[in-house]
Amino acid sequence: MAVKDKLKTDLFPTIWCPGCGIGLIMQQLATVMDELGLDKTNTVIVTGIGCTGRMGAYMNFESVYTLHGRTLPVAEAIKMVRPELNVLVVSGDGDLASIGGNHLLHSIRRNPNVTVLCNNNEIYGLTGGQTGPTTPQGTSTISSPAGATYTPINLQGVVNTNPNAYYAKTTVYHQGPMRKAIREAIAWPGFAFVDIASQCIENNGRRIGFASANDMLQHYRTEYKTAPPGSKHLEPHQLGIVKGEPATVAGSAGPAQGAGE
Amino acid sequence: MTKRLVQGNEAVLLGAVKAGATYFAGYPISPSSEILAQASVYAAQHPEFRFLQEEDEIASANAIMGGSLAGAKSFTATSGPGFSLMQEAIGYGHKVGIPCVIVNVMRVGPATGMPTMPGQGDLNQTRYGSTGDYTSIVFYPSSVAECYEYTIQAFNAAEESRSPVILLSDAFLGHLNEVADLDAIDVPIVPRTLEPLASGGTRLFSGVATYPDGEPATADADEFIRQYHESRAQRVEVAERYAFYEYGWNKDAETLVIAFGITRRIAQPLAPHFALFRPIRIWPTLDKELTEIAARYKKIIVIEGSDGQYANVVERMLFRRVERVPLLGGRMSLEAIREGLAEIGMLPAEPTPSGSASPARVG
Repeated sequence: MAVKDKLKTDLFPTIWCPGCGIGLIMQQLATVMDELGLDKTNTVIVTGIGCTGRMGAYMNFESVYTLHGRTLPVAEAIKMVRPELNVLVVSGDGDLASIGGNHLLHSIRRNPNVTVLCNNNEIYGLTGGQTGPTTPQGTSTISSPAGATYTPINLQGVVNTNPNAYYAKTTVYHQGPMRKAIREAIAWPGFAFVDIASQCIENNGRRIGFASANDMLQHYRTEYKTAPPGSKHLEPHQLGIVKGEPATVAGSAGPAQGAGE
Repeated sequence: MTKRLVQGNEAVLLGAVKAGATYFAGYPISPSSEILAQASVYAAQHPEFRFLQEEDEIASANAIMGGSLAGAKSFTATSGPGFSLMQEAIGYGHKVGIPCVIVNVMRVGPATGMPTMPGQGDLNQTRYGSTGDYTSIVFYPSSVAECYEYTIQAFNAAEESRSPVILLSDAFLGHLNEVADLDAIDVPIVPRTLEPLASGGTRLFSGVATYPDGEPATADADEFIRQYHESRAQRVEVAERYAFYEYGWNKDAETLVIAFGITRRIAQPLAPHFALFRPIRIWPTLDKELTEIAARYKKIIVIEGSDGQYANVVERMLFRRVERVPLLGGRMSLEAIREGLAEIGMLPAEPTPSGSASPARVG
């Protein structure tokens, strides 16, 4: 098998805008899936609504393209009925943390053995650039022309309310750390959340002063610093991984076939 | 098994198990909560039966979609306000084609309403509750034994139609205890029809309009219409095989009473004075059957626990005026029915006998 066998390349080019960060996540995910032996007989992809939701359609797996915000109830049910499967949720920050926020809160509490990749572009991109749950305070958007009013949601804090969860922060620029985080998250015996900063040049970046997608990637390169090893908490713009105690017994947690490691 | 006392809600759970259900997700809400509680007990004793108490009904309804796609016959149970929260997922199930069963034990709405007085005001919600056009299959039993029987039929119809099928009940029926021999009820079980996830294919189960290859078809009217007519025709065809109703009482009377669910039981003492048509399949409506039967009667009275939801349907179906006895605010009693009949000048002159309320079983 090769990485490109994980992708429905006949459907390329994708629907995503030139310069979008989602393709970089899909590429690294496909690479890790190839490394770990994830295939269409042992893995299911669950996506939500938003630009990221299209990813399931481009991958050579069975995929559930859920309603807006409902990835986690669907993913948890699949894992409960079929504990032998790897269940991957791929969605955006708005889908997971805003409309799906209540499910996120409770899925974390139940610690299902599902892996969540969050394309965190700090904006509602598909609908044109409205303020999202992760939009930094003060950011001008089409629904907050004078700057976003409220504090963004603390995803790390929410995930780490579960002492057995896995939380990683990375960016689409930092492909090695992203790959490592995805690999570890899939193998993690319980709830694992990879929070991936990713650029939306068309419906956010240009409005907030970036000339190109590459400028946004360079911004990630210079702004994000690796957290000291063993950090129990990541500061803003720190790359790193915060691991809880791996669960020995969890409702539907447990290693899945093909997860390697 | 021999005869024993069974509760309506318990019969629903037992029917689901009999039908082969192995996944339940739900959220507590009266008067349906016994189904959730008993599902949890059953799951504790049978590890192959998976159970999850969810954070809300939105999660419950989406979870049974996931459970069904993963390969388990899946169901949930709720009441009016929870059923409202499930509507989006029900639309998703119709769009994607997911077999599952949603039990709605009706109380008086709208909103939190009158917990937990009995009502029948969710008929329209079972048909029109989600966005867009879709074809619902809905059953409504009227005894504990029927709760068992039509739960099994709901799972069967869900498998055949590949759609979410609704089983209606109500606060009285759900909490009704009756002696029944459920093992004597023999309904063949339809096996799973949907290939479970990760069977080696690359299917995309999409709520977004897509072409068969997964590409968006969000601006293609022809493709939309083709898919819509295909699923509609398939569900109507399946529903034809589940055309359940009861026609009885005094068939020689001049007036036909239409009543369903618990209302039909409450109205039993009127049997000598009226003919009865009881739809068990609420949706799609029983047009052929009711049109033929209704033609024999001078007058039609619809007695129901809403302000005319089914009466409106009957009027439009038959193109004729029907009399209405709406039982509102949870006042679902023989006295309320008599008062309603008196108001429209249809109360039988003879005092009605107050005999047994056991339904005659007519196919």
